[in-house]
Amino acid sequence: MTVKWLMHFQPNQGTTLTSQVMAEACAVAESFPGVSRDGRWRSAMTFYRAVPRDQSLPAPSDLPRDLIGISLHDLPNEYLFVMRSQRLILRAHSSVQTVMDKLQSYKGRFFINFEGLQYKWGDFKLRIGKCLYNPNEALRGIVMEVEYLPLSSMDKSQRVMEEFYEIWREAVASKLLAGQFINTEVNFVEYGLGDSYTPQHTAVLYGMCVVQVIASSNKNQ
Amino acid sequence: MECVVQGIIETLHVEALEILLVGLCGAPKQRIRVHELCLKSGPNLVSSEVRLLCDLAKTTPSWTIRHVGGAMRGAGADQLSVLVRPIAESKASSTALRFFYGIGYKLDHEVLKTGFAFQFQNRGANLTVSVTSTNRMPRLHATDDAVPITPGIHLVEITAPAAPENYTEVASAIASFCEYLSPLLHLSKPGISTGIVPTAASAAASLMSSGGGIKIL
Repeated sequence: MTVKWLMHFQPNQGTTLTSQVMAEACAVAESFPGVSRDGRWRSAMTFYRAVPRDQSLPAPSDLPRDLIGISLHDLPNEYLFVMRSQRLILRAHSSVQTVMDKLQSYKGRFFINFEGLQYKWGDFKLRIGKCLYNPNEALRGIVMEVEYLPLSSMDKSQRVMEEFYEIWREAVASKLLAGQFINTEVNFVEYGLGDSYTPQHTAVLYGMCVVQVIASSNKNQ
Repeated sequence: MECVVQGIIETLHVEALEILLVGLCGAPKQRIRVHELCLKSGPNLVSSEVRLLCDLAKTTPSWTIRHVGGAMRGAGADQLSVLVRPIAESKASSTALRFFYGIGYKLDHEVLKTGFAFQFQNRGANLTVSVTSTNRMPRLHATDDAVPITPGIHLVEITAPAAPENYTEVASAIASFCEYLSPLLHLSKPGISTGIVPTAASAAASLMSSGGGIKIL
């Protein structure tokens, strides 16, 4: 799997995030020479909560409160779980969701979709999308996933990704968007992940990014 | 969903059973070496049980998460000679055990199943006939030191995937296949023991002397 970076849009202090930002970010991408639109994309995230044996009581504190499940747009037959507090990832066939339903020990409590437009620009794929609560589709954030197709090594792709990030930041700033895109920084070693990029890396990126998106959204409301 | 029957056979007759199965199947056996961990939810969680299966027969171990539901009940189920139960399974990464510990599950028991299996097609159903010894481990996860729980006895199991619209046909396919094995063992619903058949010794001796050579399916 080739390397991805994940960024989220951080609105300026005192400004409210609107769908207009998504349109403006897409316009930035579409201004790049040689860029072509490449369809749509959608990933889905579920926040799980433990179901206590005695449901009249709150969930015990020794059970994780940060269990998330992710279905990635480019891996429709797989499902990944991330527990940030334990730096733990499980990668499984998508049928694991059926197993979890049968166990009934954890239930999905709220759901976020990441969906939007995909672009091809040279050796890069850009996916700009809204971060939406499901089912009311309240906008919580804007994200951009950048994939560098030639490389699977994160070390080897570091420089070219940093250069793209600078190009993107300058392009966004020149369009006077009311904020900036912040890259999601993760210490993958803590999750037992190596230099060769995998879907587990993507799952961890989304797990970290969504925390920042929700925090940013709560701050600006 | 799956249909399943089980039976037991004395270990000294397993080789004869293998000869019979080779003759019926015409394909090589698959080796079984599966570390099965049964986990139960902790006292704070809704009660549930899950099994993790680590296939040690291959060069790189692979993990499967498996949930076995309760047997189908009712007049229709009672009339079947096989047990029908819902099954949910998923291939998973090697972090599966840590994951379930992390979400509050505890190890209840673990076993190592060793043996072999054959795949058959009978009346449109995909049957798996497995012949295994179930072994316990003297120390946690010590699969290399596992010893049989019932020395001298192997478990024979026939399973076949099924769906709500075809489980009766699948059950019938299993039942008819059991007839081929009846000189050596009787198979029935799990939990209903039929013991060792009296014809097993003579049937085994006949198979060993003839070397099989039967291709029926």
